[in-house]
Amino acid sequence: MDVRAQLVMVFNLDKCIGCHACSISCKNIWTDRKGAEYMWWNNVETKPGIGYPKKWEDQKIFKGGWVADGRNLRLRAMGKGGTLLSMFFQPNMPKLEDYYEPFDFDYSNLYGAKEGNDQPVAEVFSQISGEKMAEIKGGPNWDDDLSGSQLYAAEDINLDDKKIIEEYGTMFMQYLPRICNHCLNPACVASCPSRAIYKRGEDGVVLVDQNVCKGWRFCTSACPYKKVYFNWNSGKAEKCIFCFPRTETGQCNACAHSCVGRIRYVGVLLYDAEKVEQALLKPDDQLVEAHRAVILDPRDESVRAAARKNGVSEQWLEAADKSPVYALVKEFGLALPLHPEFRTMPMAYYIPSLSPVLSTLDDTHELAEHGTFPALEKLRAPIGYLANLLAGGNREVVTSVLAKLIALRGYMRDKNLNQPADESILTSAGLDEAAADRLYRLFTIGGYHERNIIPPQQREEQEPHTRKGASGFGILKKPGRGK
Amino acid sequence: MLNTFIFIVLPYVALALLIFVTPYRYMTNRLTWSAYSTQFLERKTLFWGINPWHYGIIPVLAGHLAGIIAPGTMKSFLANRDTLVLLESVGLGLGLFALFGCLVLLPRRINSPILKRVTFASDYILLILLALQAASGVYIATFMRWGSQWYLHTAVPYLWSLAALNPRVDYMADFPLILKLHAAGAFLIVALLPFTKLVHLLFLPIGFLKDPPLLYRWRSPVVKGE
Repeated sequence: MDVRAQLVMVFNLDKCIGCHACSISCKNIWTDRKGAEYMWWNNVETKPGIGYPKKWEDQKIFKGGWVADGRNLRLRAMGKGGTLLSMFFQPNMPKLEDYYEPFDFDYSNLYGAKEGNDQPVAEVFSQISGEKMAEIKGGPNWDDDLSGSQLYAAEDINLDDKKIIEEYGTMFMQYLPRICNHCLNPACVASCPSRAIYKRGEDGVVLVDQNVCKGWRFCTSACPYKKVYFNWNSGKAEKCIFCFPRTETGQCNACAHSCVGRIRYVGVLLYDAEKVEQALLKPDDQLVEAHRAVILDPRDESVRAAARKNGVSEQWLEAADKSPVYALVKEFGLALPLHPEFRTMPMAYYIPSLSPVLSTLDDTHELAEHGTFPALEKLRAPIGYLANLLAGGNREVVTSVLAKLIALRGYMRDKNLNQPADESILTSAGLDEAAADRLYRLFTIGGYHERNIIPPQQREEQEPHTRKGASGFGILKKPGRGK
Repeated sequence: MLNTFIFIVLPYVALALLIFVTPYRYMTNRLTWSAYSTQFLERKTLFWGINPWHYGIIPVLAGHLAGIIAPGTMKSFLANRDTLVLLESVGLGLGLFALFGCLVLLPRRINSPILKRVTFASDYILLILLALQAASGVYIATFMRWGSQWYLHTAVPYLWSLAALNPRVDYMADFPLILKLHAAGAFLIVALLPFTKLVHLLFLPIGFLKDPPLLYRWRSPVVKGE
């Protein structure tokens, strides 16, 4: 058993209102610079939709992630020989148009325009070339709230039946906030010929060493989530850093901190690094189970002993014990990995959305027949869609999660209305009263320190004298050429 | 005078810059150590330029270096006339391929407005220099045939004399001007290397071939690593 600790984020999709506050706080802190204008380390997509960059989920286009090749995992795009031959022109690299051409407005014209017959306007210009743009052709959330659904949502590869979004009676949507998943089997790391991308041993955060990166660009397409970006100014790759300067001091990530809906949970998971590769060889529909099997119980003494042997500190073990993430992902089995079939073992998990609790149009009035909630298969967001998104196509996994969410709501509804709460609702879905209390707190009134349990890095234990007088994090030289 | 400049001053200046500036840049600002790919912004034309250029120039450069490193082996290798003819023809083809690539890349910088902000004087200087170098090489291969053979008896001993700090300009003095310019171009490229994006060719990503796919970094040496 090779026990390691990983910082993990869980997203409760039921509570995401699609306000983009997370994206904005991330942009303000990390990517508001030359070369990074188009990057959104955190972005929020409307589902169904094609997302950002366009069609990132379609691995026929960008060839990201891994494929299980009988007994081995290999990168979908190319092996090491192919990498050497593709250094000059990387065939799968997403291009600027796959994201969007970043733009700004010439506000100075509003003040400085010559007197004329018309109101002055702030014309749009490209943040790359600096030239005026005749037309804005895209943005990071261009298909927000199903806008242009015939062009975008209809192209969603998770959607089995495209008719569903053409009719008001059956149409549905939900939001999908995304950051780098800081995977356990990151394809970006494996694809890098310079070996600039690495996974931090202590907390599992995946980082690009800007001093080592030579800009060979294989990571940008190898990541199946398209969460490694190419900075056109510095000529190097950049990605979400899980706000490590914040998490190292016990604060939660900027995106989680600014979340209006409080949908995010940050905490520690312990996992068995030896079992990761074997788990990923399973067929698509067994991958969620395989994910859960790799995650270890932080209360198990043998796990704790093995973790200590690997240098996991007491503070981290304590955080793992209290981890909201462990409760949501493994203990109660509510949070699911995004596209586990890409086989990178992503460490961001999503609780599928139930709300709005609406059935399809014709059945809305039959609610009473089903009690408070419509039958599972009559929910607006089709089970099959959620299964394609979060469970490698396994409908049972999604059904069981939704059943738990419904049971929890039914039980708490009765309790709040001072009606006799029937515990059998919970037990039939696989929960109990204690679980319901814990989940109710986490989903509703749980405060900052309940939702985010982040142990600080133990730098004081790691030879501080070697770091005395050294600079902290940050890039002290200016990247890029010119000026 | 010209001979002294091209065959004594230029090579030593280039070498000195390469030896001293490269580590300085490496130590002080590795953040500029990139190939500065523009594929992200423009890829249609790039494909037809960057691939011919690299696939043409790398084997040609390797051929030049092989002659310098192992002149004896190359001499016996080229003693066979068929081999010589084959090598010369392939070399000429690859040279033309590289030249074609350069001639695609040069107007691309001018014609793509999106590349304006990522194009610097050094890009034009390098592209023009490399195009001239490829063109003079193609000219020499065409009109001064069997260069892979006589190169081993003239330029190679001269380069070795440079390394021995006893430059023998007489090996090169009687060549036509075009060849002298080809040599000057080579030294100029070496001189510019540490200052430009050409530094990317100092890092051959060979190490990753034997590495395991995943790379971990542990902050503390106490913790076991991979």
